Amino acid sequence: MIEVTGLSKSFGTLQALDDVTFTVEKGQIVGFLGANGAGKTTTMDILCGCIGADQGTAKICGYDINEQPLEAKKRLGYLPDEPPLHLEMKVRAYIEYAAKLRGLKGTKIQERTNYVLGKLEIADVSHRIIGNLSKGYRQRVALAQAIVHDPEVLVLDEPTEGLDPTQIAHIRDLIRSLAPEHTIILSSHILTEVQNTCDHIVIIHKGKLIRQGSYEEIVKEAESGGVYRLKVAKNEQALIGAISGFKGIKYSNFNQEDGEIEFGLEANDFDTLDLIGSKVIEGGYGLRELTLKTRSLEDVFFQITK
Amino acid sequence: MGAALIIARRDLMSFFTSIKGASIFFFFLIFMGVFFQNFVATFAELTAQAPQHGGEAPTLEQLTRAIFYNLHFILILIVPAVTMSAFSEEKRNHAFRLLQTSPVTSLQIVLGKFLASTSLLGFVLLASTVYPMFTVLYGNPDVGVILSSYLGIFLLMCGQVAFGIWISSMTSNQFIAFLFTMFGIFMLMILNWLAPHITGGGTLENVAKYVASTEHLDSFFKGLITVKSTMYFLCFSAMFLFFTNVALDSQRWR
Repeated sequence: MIEVTGLSKSFGTLQALDDVTFTVEKGQIVGFLGANGAGKTTTMDILCGCIGADQGTAKICGYDINEQPLEAKKRLGYLPDEPPLHLEMKVRAYIEYAAKLRGLKGTKIQERTNYVLGKLEIADVSHRIIGNLSKGYRQRVALAQAIVHDPEVLVLDEPTEGLDPTQIAHIRDLIRSLAPEHTIILSSHILTEVQNTCDHIVIIHKGKLIRQGSYEEIVKEAESGGVYRLKVAKNEQALIGAISGFKGIKYSNFNQEDGEIEFGLEANDFDTLDLIGSKVIEGGYGLRELTLKTRSLEDVFFQITK
Repeated sequence: MGAALIIARRDLMSFFTSIKGASIFFFFLIFMGVFFQNFVATFAELTAQAPQHGGEAPTLEQLTRAIFYNLHFILILIVPAVTMSAFSEEKRNHAFRLLQTSPVTSLQIVLGKFLASTSLLGFVLLASTVYPMFTVLYGNPDVGVILSSYLGIFLLMCGQVAFGIWISSMTSNQFIAFLFTMFGIFMLMILNWLAPHITGGGTLENVAKYVASTEHLDSFFKGLITVKSTMYFLCFSAMFLFFTNVALDSQRWR
């Protein structure tokens, strides 16, 4: 559905994208993750034909966005980070205009407009001027223009930016409901949003693609052996020194707030884990808890982008 | 062409649903009215004085020509006010992304913007017919000259619009677009007066005079519709529409 190969783009001396390659299969929701300025919007802009790449190709449903832009754009719906709204227009008129631009004709225009107005729950404001609507409504109107022509591929750049928690939940449900029929790429710097919504994650950092895969795959790869949490009764600092000395320990640190020691193992090295357990008991530190820590995407993201 | 008409229709409607369209009509008709009232008063005064001083009374053709020269001058303000928003406004509020990601070509976008601006200014010209109409009602002017003058003004206006949307396509600042368009149109108007002073005569002067819009407009104002002048305006418009198309395409690669 989406094939991005060796995409590079620079703005003056700034290398915004450097040899980015990924593919997205039909029906997948892909989360595009990265800090501000990582290159998410640049990738999406290239993918949607707003800007050209210095090198590489981007294909939508097999159509190259530079070679066959009209065919590619027919199959594409884009919600940019800044909603592309005509603030002086009424909601219905705007969506109908977007539908006509995307090539819908005759009764299909009304049909699809009514459908998206209902789907996004904006039918009650359909005769209001967009400029008079709240940010949440505007974002939904912008999303309506992206899906009005029922595109095979949806590209959503930070779709929940600036929305309240209820609206975020609504947009998230909506994206999930669109997934079976559409291939969706969404970018966000809200990690829980990507973790909860997407089947596949692409992490981009300083213009380079540094990880891709399912949430479980990315976390597993980052952990490579696991992160453990140890709680003891006394003299934690002395124990940290001892743990750091064991073979196979990636790092260890003491969390002052929780009174916990966190350490990472290089592999599933249960011998080292046994040694640590013995050390705690023999040293009389008083074992209270030793658990494998489940890591959030946030932990992994910070680890691999630092 | 279908997409160009969809874009043109939306842009034209946006002129009328905002205060912009009404303001353009208001200021245009006010300016035209004030000048027309002055011309007519002067015309009546000179006609009354002619028998006493033994000179020739002014003709209605002179009056209508004054109206059209005045119209030409007012377009220097009106055309940039219309074209400045063609691309600049949509770029500033990011609405241009909708066009960029829709299955339409750059040429369709350019033609859509051009049609919207020329349609609005066409309505403005239509509104201005009220002034020459007075001369028809109360005198016997040559209607052919009035019609050819309107054709000349319309063709000139098309060229000015093409130039204006080209400027607008290169900036997201409407004020800058307004200033540069006004400056360009003004230079085009005075080029035939400046030509002898800046070229040193000869072929260069003739080229400069040919490029000036006033030279070509004069023939329309005299009732002459020549191929040379018509082609000048059509080529001028086509050239700047082409430049706009190139500007839009090139912006993708910056």
